[in-house]
Amino acid sequence: MNSLRLRLLVTLVGLLALAAAAMAAITYHNVLGESEALFDYQLQQMALSLRDQGEIDRAQADTLADEQLDFVIQIWTVDGRSIYASRPHASLPARALLGLATLNVDGRAWRTFGVATRERVIQVAQPVEIRQRLAAHAAWRSVLPLLLTTPFAALAIWWLAARNLAPLDRLAHEVRSRDARSLAPVPTGDLPDELAPLASALNALLARLGSSLDSQRAFVADAAHELRSPLTALKLQLELLRRADDAETREAAREAIGEGIARATRLVEQLLALARSEPDAVLPVERVDLAAVCRKTMDETRAFADSRSVTIALVADEPSVVTGDAVALGLLVRNLVDNAVRYSPPGSRVEVRIREDGGQIVLDVDDSGPGIPDSERERVFDRFYRRSEATESGSGLGLAIVRSVGNAHRATIRLGRSALGGLQVSVAFPAPP
Amino acid sequence: MRLLLVEDDRMIGESLQRTLRLEGFAVDWVRDAAAADGTLASERFDLVLLDLGLPRGGAAGGPADGLEVLRAMRARRDPTPVIVLTARDARGDRVAGLDAGADDYIVKPFEFDELAARIRAVLRRHAGRAEPVLSQGGVTLDPAQRRVTLHGSPVLLSAREYAVLEALMARPGAVLSRAQLEDRLYGWGEEIESNAVSVYIHQLRKKLGADFIRNVRGVGYFIDAGDPQAR
Repeated sequence: MNSLRLRLLVTLVGLLALAAAAMAAITYHNVLGESEALFDYQLQQMALSLRDQGEIDRAQADTLADEQLDFVIQIWTVDGRSIYASRPHASLPARALLGLATLNVDGRAWRTFGVATRERVIQVAQPVEIRQRLAAHAAWRSVLPLLLTTPFAALAIWWLAARNLAPLDRLAHEVRSRDARSLAPVPTGDLPDELAPLASALNALLARLGSSLDSQRAFVADAAHELRSPLTALKLQLELLRRADDAETREAAREAIGEGIARATRLVEQLLALARSEPDAVLPVERVDLAAVCRKTMDETRAFADSRSVTIALVADEPSVVTGDAVALGLLVRNLVDNAVRYSPPGSRVEVRIREDGGQIVLDVDDSGPGIPDSERERVFDRFYRRSEATESGSGLGLAIVRSVGNAHRATIRLGRSALGGLQVSVAFPAPP
Repeated sequence: MRLLLVEDDRMIGESLQRTLRLEGFAVDWVRDAAAADGTLASERFDLVLLDLGLPRGGAAGGPADGLEVLRAMRARRDPTPVIVLTARDARGDRVAGLDAGADDYIVKPFEFDELAARIRAVLRRHAGRAEPVLSQGGVTLDPAQRRVTLHGSPVLLSAREYAVLEALMARPGAVLSRAQLEDRLYGWGEEIESNAVSVYIHQLRKKLGADFIRNVRGVGYFIDAGDPQAR
């Protein structure tokens, strides 16, 4: 029974039935008690007036005559001879008990009142079931109106429930009409107070979904756009190879194609790395030795640095533990060191330092390149942003990856001027708990 | 034909310059908006290939991107035809490019053959011709095929000889000086052989007839526009 409407109906009708039953029980109990007192009094009055006046009082004659009430009068002589019975009842007790009594005769309960004079014994009796029947009747009459109105009440409940649940249906309809293309918030104006929080929560979810979808779309569009350049270069390089008519040009064209493929490959790798490190990606959280990550990453970068005659050095106390993901942190270090090497003049030095500062673990990467002016320090983190003075053709994604990984580790990243003359990037990680 | 290539991407610029040279164009290449603006203000080109997404390159105040280079060109009434190379294929960008004065556009990544065809078409329109083949005094020159015939039979020309002939045939009757011809033959940094133009003219006269290319002593060379009967 999962329908709110049905549940409401069954509960309310059940409650009505329960109320009716309780009402009936109480009425029955009260009426029975009253009729017992009344009829006992009548029994007594009849018997006493027979004893004292030898006849039934006028007031009681009607009562006695009412067959419904089934009063029976018996009179015996003192020695037990029956001299009168108002209605012969086979099953009546043959001998009277003096005073009020309840007797069981052949499975039937009787209420009796007996009195004795010097010559006669008088007994007035009435079956108990008469009183019970009266009480039951009264109870029935009292609940009948309730029972008669119940079907109408049920219909009214059914209708009211439908009416009050209509906003829910409308809300469901609104939500159904939403999809990836239209994430407009559902209208909340005419919703009842109980539904408004649900609609607001839904709208908040829709907004989050929308912005997440938008950033995904923008990312895909940017990525496709960025891939155009290496692909254009490759197409032209291939065309050059096709048209080259001497060995020297052919060799140059082949070399250019190799470079073009390497560039496209690097861009795709960086795109993947960025997608993996996006803030909503799930990063495993473990204790990572940042110094070990730096050493491993710098070993991989050494060949690139050598090819540019740049020395890379690591200054770190080991271990320097941060909380996060070793692979992602490797990506961060890799991009910082790559950038530093790329923009450093030949023969210069790139320094990677890990230090502790007020409980935080701070990673510094210093170079002696041209640095980045203050005005551009925010924008260089945007993906595909390339500084107009940049002479090197990077993917435009390096610092975007650094920021993304940094955010995922709740690290703060600061760009500054290095003692070596170039750029200093500082990444401050919160201390592990 | 002398082209200016404005493209910031090193790989694209390099390979495009080389391939265009193989096609017989003299190609100069600049990599930012300031350099493009300066070059265009001081030198004459037959056509400009202009990338829109350019770094500024110079001080603030100069053109910030390809579109502004184009606007600046048209503002100083430079009629040099421009083909826009763009990675932006949104319709708005193409419309902006054409409205700023571009003659055509091509979206990256493109086929080189298509670019070459568009270059020829723009040059043809710019010279006020509809027919793709140049024809003068029994000589025909087909820029698309790079083929030359004399009275219907093909004539074999070297790339430089072809370039000289194309320059002269594009404007029959107009006199081109030796320096102007050298401009069309060589990009920057290419070594100009001494007396090269005279050598090519000599070769062309041998292949096409001594009278085909006329000489105005001390001024330059031209091809007789002739009368229509002579065609």
